[in-house]
Amino acid sequence: MWLVRRQLDTRFERLDPDDDPDRDDRLIRELYQEFGGPLLRQVRQTTGNDLQWAEDVVQETLLRAWRNAAKLTWERGLLWAWLLTVSRRIVIDGRRRRSVRPREVEPPEADSIAVPDAADRTLAAIVVADALRGLSPDHREVIEQTYLRDRTVSEAAEILGIPPGTVKSRLYYAMRALRGVLKERGVAS
Amino acid sequence: MFAEIPESLHHDVAAYALGVLDPEDIQGFELHLASCERCKIELDEFGELPGLLDEVKSASQRVRP
Ligand SMILES: [Zn+2]
Repeated sequence: MWLVRRQLDTRFERLDPDDDPDRDDRLIRELYQEFGGPLLRQVRQTTGNDLQWAEDVVQETLLRAWRNAAKLTWERGLLWAWLLTVSRRIVIDGRRRRSVRPREVEPPEADSIAVPDAADRTLAAIVVADALRGLSPDHREVIEQTYLRDRTVSEAAEILGIPPGTVKSRLYYAMRALRGVLKERGVAS
Repeated sequence: MFAEIPESLHHDVAAYALGVLDPEDIQGFELHLASCERCKIELDEFGELPGLLDEVKSASQRVRP
C-alpha cells in the first residue's frame, strides 16, 4: 500500500505542484467528469438498460480505478480500455449473482448486443495463458515477474538478478511477441 | 541537433503500458513520449494487453478484487 500511496502522490505532484489536501477527491471527481458519461452509455448496453444497475457498475469501476491508481497510466486510451474491461467484469459478476438469486422484477431481456459472458472470459484466459506459454522462457518470465505479480521493473530486476534496463528491454520484446500471437489468434486487434 | 535517441529509451513504453515502470522513471518517459511518434503508436498497440493479461491473472491468482 505504501507504494500505491507514493505513486499516487508522485502523479499528483506532477499535475499540481502545490500542496493539495484533497487529491483523492479530485482524482475521483476527474475520473467521473472524464469518463462517467461515456462509461455509463457503454455499461447500459450490457445491463439491459437497467439504469440503476448501470450507475452502480460505473461507480464501482471508477472506485477501482482510484484504488488502482498506481497501476494505471493516465494515457486516455489505455485508461479507457482498462475501465471497459473492469466494468465488463463487474457486470458479468453481477449477472451471475442475479441468476443465482432472481429478483422479483423480471430479469433484463436477453441482450441483442454481444456481451462477453463468463464462458467467454474463461476462453480468453485460456488463449492468453496459452500465448504466454508459447513465448520464450525469458519473455514469459519477465511478464510474470512484473505485471502478473504486481511488481515494478526494479523490483523484478532484483528478483531476477538482472539490470532494470534489461528487464525493460525484455519486457518490450515480450510484449511485442505476445501481441503478435494474440493478434494471430484474433484476441487482440 | 538530432541527437540519436538510444533504442533502449523506446523500450520503456512496454513497462509504461503495463503500469510497472518505476515511479522515478515515469516523468522522464512521458517527456520522451510527448515527442516520439513511434512510442505513441506502440503505446496504443499495447493498450489492450493489460486487460487481456488480467484475464489470466484473475483466473489464476485472485490478488486484486
Ligand atoms: Zn520512443
